[in-house]
Amino acid sequence: MKPTSRLGVFILVAPAVLLYSFAVLLPFIGTIVLSFMRWDGFDSPTFAGIANYTRAFADAIFRSTFIHVGIYIVATLFLEVLLGLLLAGFTSSLKHSSFYRIALFIPVMLPMVVIAVLWRAIFNSDYGILNAILSSFGLASWQHIWLGDTKTALLSICFVSGWVFSGFYMAIFTAALNRLPSDVIESARLDGSGEMNIFTKIKVPMIRQVTSIAILICITGGLQGFDLFYVLTDGGPYHTTEVPTTFMVKSVFRDGEFGYGSALAIIVSLIGLSMALIFNIWQKRTRVDVEY
Amino acid sequence: MKIRRWALHLVVTAYSIFALAPLFWMFYSSFKTNAQISQSPLSLPTSFHFGVFAQAWRIGGIGKYAMNSIIATAASTAIVLTTASMAGFALSRLKFAGSKSIIVLFTLGLLLPVQSYFIMQNQEFELFNLKDTRWALIIPYASMGIPLAIWLIKTYIDSLPKELFEAARIDGSTDMQTYRFLMFPIIRPALVTVGIFSALSAWNEFLLALLYVQDESLKTIPTGLLSFSSKYVTDYQMLFAALTMVTVPMIALYVAFNRQIVAGLTQGAVKG
Repeated sequence: MKPTSRLGVFILVAPAVLLYSFAVLLPFIGTIVLSFMRWDGFDSPTFAGIANYTRAFADAIFRSTFIHVGIYIVATLFLEVLLGLLLAGFTSSLKHSSFYRIALFIPVMLPMVVIAVLWRAIFNSDYGILNAILSSFGLASWQHIWLGDTKTALLSICFVSGWVFSGFYMAIFTAALNRLPSDVIESARLDGSGEMNIFTKIKVPMIRQVTSIAILICITGGLQGFDLFYVLTDGGPYHTTEVPTTFMVKSVFRDGEFGYGSALAIIVSLIGLSMALIFNIWQKRTRVDVEY
Repeated sequence: MKIRRWALHLVVTAYSIFALAPLFWMFYSSFKTNAQISQSPLSLPTSFHFGVFAQAWRIGGIGKYAMNSIIATAASTAIVLTTASMAGFALSRLKFAGSKSIIVLFTLGLLLPVQSYFIMQNQEFELFNLKDTRWALIIPYASMGIPLAIWLIKTYIDSLPKELFEAARIDGSTDMQTYRFLMFPIIRPALVTVGIFSALSAWNEFLLALLYVQDESLKTIPTGLLSFSSKYVTDYQMLFAALTMVTVPMIALYVAFNRQIVAGLTQGAVKG
């Protein structure tokens, strides 16, 4: 339709556009510009060309953040997405399953910082329950300073992340499984297929669209991970849990390296964006005709 | 058949216990003294005193943090709902110059992570003296929520029959009237999803709150709890009381509205 008045359109669209431009779009463009500058936040910035980028690619700590975040993403693909799929498969074939669905989603909607502070207490070597449980099972030799040990810190974070988000992916998969047409599954059951076979050979392939979205969310979300890492270890011990965002925040807000931090920000964002793009192209190619 | 079902129940129940045990431990530890907590971390409390909650709420500042979170969440969610429903309506139903490029800009916003702009946003807020004010969180929370909100609302309006809007036009309704009296009521399901997603995102947001608000009296629950936990680092009981106070009301709200909250969060994440 044509609008009744131009002023009307302006009033409807302007607030959203202005607010979004002021707080997201302009700062985004500014960050791109700043990534080619050298700036300590006080003096006037000087042009640096691609120096910040070449420095980033040569920075051993920054490069190591991608190894850490890579380990984190792979671990959470198992602990969150795969576990969520299995939990959804288990509960969707049970009659009284709403309790599980409600209970396992609780950590998802709580603030990540609150969960991180709680798990910091669980891992605590003085009063934490993890070591207490281990010693009560006679496994005192398994006790660790979980978050302070370079061998266990990153895995502990992955574990907490799995504890939080397995319920989230379970909810996504449960919704997808419930939307499946029941006649297909009924006829497979009449043909004598076991529940296990129905799940792995019929249900899982039918929800693969949802599965690929879940994997994308897990990867892009993992790349942006900050809260858990900041509260549990803040990148330590010895940078073994340093991820791109914790490193970026330190570069800018502790070392005052605004240009360098911006270059890191743009690199990380570009990686996330290209993953989403590749995913979209791949999705269009393999799109199935039926919408579930 | 029956054994298999019981085995499944057993597995999922065991996992649910694992998922809820930390929260249960947090809850009952807030009734134990510091000595009990450090000597026998697993034991159940022997008595129930609620004084520590009042102490954490008033002296520890949890009450103040909760109030700040409520203000930031309510204000940013209200701004998202009004601005995005207006823009979503115009972009879906009205043809005007520039509407295509505006849609492209907002789609870009769906893809941009907060990392791609928070460094300059920080400078901008410093320039305009917005840091350490309530606006330092309300403005970014609202503007970060707008792209997804517009997308969800626009898709919802796109799916409505166009005759509805044509009929309103023939009856002589202006666009503003159509928005207020026809569209606002019928897009309520989309608004519920948008509202839940925006509100929870704002309530739980940490990175920007950490960077933009240093003033103790303006901190929200995530950053406030963090400074609380470093202030009472050896007072375990206080820490557990604070954790209990910020989680239990949320869990109660969630259990009451679990269907809408699960739908809101998963839809928001999947579509975003």
